[in-house]
Amino acid sequence: MSIEVQKITKKFGTYTALDQVDLTFPSGELVALLGPSGSGKTTLLRIIAGLETPDTGRVLFAGEEATNRHVRERQVGFVFQHYALFRHMTVFENIAFGLTVRPRGERPTKARIRDRVMKLLGLIQLDNLADRYPAQLSGGQRQRVALARALATEPKVLLLDEPFGSLDAKVRQELRRWLRRMHNEIHVTSVFVTHDQEEALELADRVVVMNQAKVEQVGTPEEVYENPVNPFVFNFLGNVNLFHCRDQVAGEFWTNSAAAISASAGEKVGTVGYARPFDIQISRTADTNEDIAAIVLFIQGAGALPRIEMRRPDNGQIVQAELPRDRFRQLGLRIGERVFIRPTNVRVFEPNYRI
Amino acid sequence: MQNQSLSLDRFSVGAGAARNALTESAAVRWLLTGLALAFLALILVIPLVAVFTQALDKGLDAYWAAITEPDAMSAIRLTLLTAAISVPLNLVFGVAAAWAIAKSKFRGKSLLITLIDLPFSVSPVISGLIYVLIFGLQGWFGPWLAEHDIKIIFAIPGLVLATIFVTFPFVARELIPLMQAQGTEEEEAALVLGASGWQTFFRVTLPNVIWGILYGVILCNARAMGEFGAVSVVSGHIRGLTNTMPLHVEILYNEYNFAAAFAVASLLALLALFTLAAKTLLGKKVRQEAQTTTK
Amino acid sequence: MKFLLKQRSVIPGFGLSLGFTVLYLSLIVLIPLSGLLFKSATLSWQEFWEIVSSARVLASFRLTFGAALVAALMNGAFGLLVAWVLVRYPLPGKRLVDALVDLPFALPTAVAGITLAGLYSGNGWIGRFLEPLGIKVAYTPLGIIVALTFIGLPFVVRTVQPMLEDLESELEEAAACLGANRWQIFTRVIFPTITPALLTGFALAYARAIGEYGSVIFIAGNMPMISEITPLLIITKLEQYDYAGATAIAVVMLAISFLMLLTINLLQWWSRRHAER
Repeated sequence: MSIEVQKITKKFGTYTALDQVDLTFPSGELVALLGPSGSGKTTLLRIIAGLETPDTGRVLFAGEEATNRHVRERQVGFVFQHYALFRHMTVFENIAFGLTVRPRGERPTKARIRDRVMKLLGLIQLDNLADRYPAQLSGGQRQRVALARALATEPKVLLLDEPFGSLDAKVRQELRRWLRRMHNEIHVTSVFVTHDQEEALELADRVVVMNQAKVEQVGTPEEVYENPVNPFVFNFLGNVNLFHCRDQVAGEFWTNSAAAISASAGEKVGTVGYARPFDIQISRTADTNEDIAAIVLFIQGAGALPRIEMRRPDNGQIVQAELPRDRFRQLGLRIGERVFIRPTNVRVFEPNYRI
Repeated sequence: MQNQSLSLDRFSVGAGAARNALTESAAVRWLLTGLALAFLALILVIPLVAVFTQALDKGLDAYWAAITEPDAMSAIRLTLLTAAISVPLNLVFGVAAAWAIAKSKFRGKSLLITLIDLPFSVSPVISGLIYVLIFGLQGWFGPWLAEHDIKIIFAIPGLVLATIFVTFPFVARELIPLMQAQGTEEEEAALVLGASGWQTFFRVTLPNVIWGILYGVILCNARAMGEFGAVSVVSGHIRGLTNTMPLHVEILYNEYNFAAAFAVASLLALLALFTLAAKTLLGKKVRQEAQTTTK
Repeated sequence: MKFLLKQRSVIPGFGLSLGFTVLYLSLIVLIPLSGLLFKSATLSWQEFWEIVSSARVLASFRLTFGAALVAALMNGAFGLLVAWVLVRYPLPGKRLVDALVDLPFALPTAVAGITLAGLYSGNGWIGRFLEPLGIKVAYTPLGIIVALTFIGLPFVVRTVQPMLEDLESELEEAAACLGANRWQIFTRVIFPTITPALLTGFALAYARAIGEYGSVIFIAGNMPMISEITPLLIITKLEQYDYAGATAIAVVMLAISFLMLLTINLLQWWSRRHAER
C-alpha cells in the first residue's frame, strides 16, 4: 500500500517539527528517513502512524484520505525505538496481542492465533523463548519480538523508529541484514527512521534526507551519495573536506566538470569546494600544477581504509584523506613527510539550491 | 548506593589520619548508635509495647469481653464500613487522576497535583469542620436536609465524607509518579496494534501498576480506619451508632475504662503493624514497577 | 476542554478521567473549602479580628505553634541522628528498625494519644520516674511537645535518609585527601549537602504538628489559656454552635498551613536545584 503525505506542517509550541513536507512512499519499498536529531523524521513517522496529528496537510493511504483516521484503524505496524514491549506479558502474549484485541467477530480462533505466533517466532528465530518475559531477553531479542508483534496483524505498512539505535554494533549489523532479508520476503511498504547514514545507505531502496523540518533530497542511496544537491546532504552522508577558493585563479580550484554545478563567474569569490576523503589522491611528487603541498600530521593505519591527516603549509587547512590499503602500503608514509595531494571529484554548490 | 565507610575500616591508608577522616571513631559510633536506639526505644517501642500490655492488663477474658461488647462491635463494624466505602472510591479517583496526569498533556498539571495534596496540609479538625459548615444544622444545606429528614452530620454519611476527604490523596500519590515513570509507550503500542481505550487500560496499564495500587490502598485503608480528628468533629459521638473504633477508644478512655480502651486500641495497633509490614514488603515491588525495562 | 490540552494526545480517556477527577475534587475538596471561606466572609473584619485576637485564642496559638516548633526542632536533631545511624552504621535487625520509623504514620492518632498519656502520667512507666524529679509531663505543655515529637519523627527521617544514601563517598574521600578531619568533613561537606532535606523534613514535621489533634488531646491538660491547643478550641466553639468563631480560627490556621505548604514546596525546589549542581 502506498503512502503519500501532502503539505504536512507540525509545530510543538514555537518549535516547528515539520514544514510543508510532501513525500510519496511507493508500495512495497523500504524507505529510510535520514537526518540529524530535530530534523522532524520521527514526528513524520508518528504522523503517518496516527500517533500525532498534523497541524495542516493530508495523509493518504493508497490514495485514500487517512488524515483523520484513528491510529487503531490505520492498520499500520509500528516498532518503537525502545521496543515498548508489554513487560508483564510473555513473548507469546506480546506477539499475539494485536490479534487478541480484535472485536469478537473478527478475532481468529485460539488455534489460528497460536499458529500465527509460532510462525512468526520461527521467522525471528526465537522459537524457544515464547514463554519468556521481556526483562529476560537481550536487546536484539527484544527488538525482534517488537518486530514480530508489529507484523502479527499483517499490517499494510510497517513503520520503524530508530529500530537499531540502542543496540551494540555487531547486533545492529546482524539485525540490519536480517531486516533487509525479511523485507525482500514480505514486501510490505516500510519506512524507517535513522540518524545513521551508513544504515540508511545499506538498507533502503530509497533515502529521504531531512533537516530542520524540511526534506533536503529524495533518491536511491547511490543518487544521494554520488549526487548530493546541497552541502548539507553532502556533509551528512560522509566526511568532507572544504577547499576555499579565494579568487578565480584556476590553479587553486578544481571542478569535476561532468558532475558539478558550476557557480557563475561573479560568485567565485568565497566559493567552497567539497571533496570526500576517499577522493583525495596522495603522491610523493607533484605531477601536475594542480597538486597541492601538504605535510603528514597523523596516520591511522588500522582498518579497511587507512586515514591520513595532513596540513597545508600555505593556508593551514587540515585535509583528511582515505586510501585503499594497498596504496597505503605502497606509499609507506611517515609523519612529517612532505607530500602532494590532488582532490578529485570536487563539487561546488550554488547557494540556496533546492529540489 | 552502597556506603563505603565500613569496608574502608580495613583499608589502611598510611597514617590513620586519612582513615579516621572517612568514618567516625568506634567510640563515637557506639555513642551515636546507642543514642539513636535509645531515642527510638523511648519514642516508639515503649509506647507500642505499652498498648498491648495495657490491653491485657486485666487478663485475656476481660480483653475478649471488651472487644466483643456490643458498642465495641458496632464501632468495629462502622470502621469497616467507612473504610469499605471510602477506599474503593478513592481508588477509582486515584487511578483516574493518575491516568489524566500521566498519559495526557495538558496545562495545569501541577495545580491539579497541589490540589490533590491539599488534605495533607489541612488539620484533621478543619477537615471535619468544613463538612459541618455545609451540612450541619446551621450550614448551607442544613435547613434543606432537616426538611427532608436527611442526616449527614452526626450520622454515617458525614463520617464517610470526612474520611474520604482525609484519605483520598493516598492512592493518587502512589500512582501518579509511578505512571509518569512508566510513560506512554506501551499504551501507544497497544493502540497501534488495534486495542480500544478500555482494552489498553485493563490489559496494558493496570497490570503494570498493580503493586502501586495495592500499596496505596493499604496506606489509604490504614488512615481511613484510624482517622480520629476529622470524624470526631462530624460524628455525634453517639454510642453504638456513630462511633468508629478510634472514637470508641476515646469514650472508653474518658470513662477511665482503661483496659477496655486499650483493648480496642490494640486492634488498631495490630492494623498499624500489618500496614508497616505491608509497606516494607510492597515498597520494593513498587520501586521495581517504576523501573521500565532497560532500553 | 480543548484549551486545556497542550497537544491532542492519541491516548484515549482524557476527557473521562480528567472530568471525573475534577468532579471528585470539587465535590470533596473545593466546595467544602470554599464553604469555609464564604462563612468566614460573613464576618466583618472587625468581628474577625476580635475573635482571633481574644486572649484565649491567642494563648492557644502560642501554645500550638510554640509546642510544634519545639517538637519539630527535636525531630530535626533526633531525626537526623536516626537517619545517620540507619544509613551508615551496621545494625542487627536494621530492616525492623527502619520499618518501625513509620509507626507514627501508621498508628491511629487516638491510640498514640491514650498510650502516651498513660505512659507519662504520674503512675505511668515513664512518668513515675520523672515525677519525683519534679518533671510533670502529662497534662502540661511538655506532654504536648512529647506527643508532637512522636508524630513528626518519620518526616525528618524519611526526607534525610534518601539524601544520605545518595551522598557520594567520593566527596568525603576528596575532603580527606585534602587533609580535613572527620568533624570538618561532617560540618563542611556532609551537613551542607543534606541541609535542604533537613529543612524540608523540619517544615513537614512542623506543618503536621500544628494541626495535630488526636495524639495531643489526651496528654494535654486541655485547660483554656494554659494547655489548650487550637484544634481543640475550634471543636469547643463548634460544640457551642459558635460557627463563626470556629470558622475564623480555622481560616487563620489554614492560612498558616498554606504558607507552610508554600515554604515546603520552595524548599523542595531549592533542594532539587542543589542536588542537580
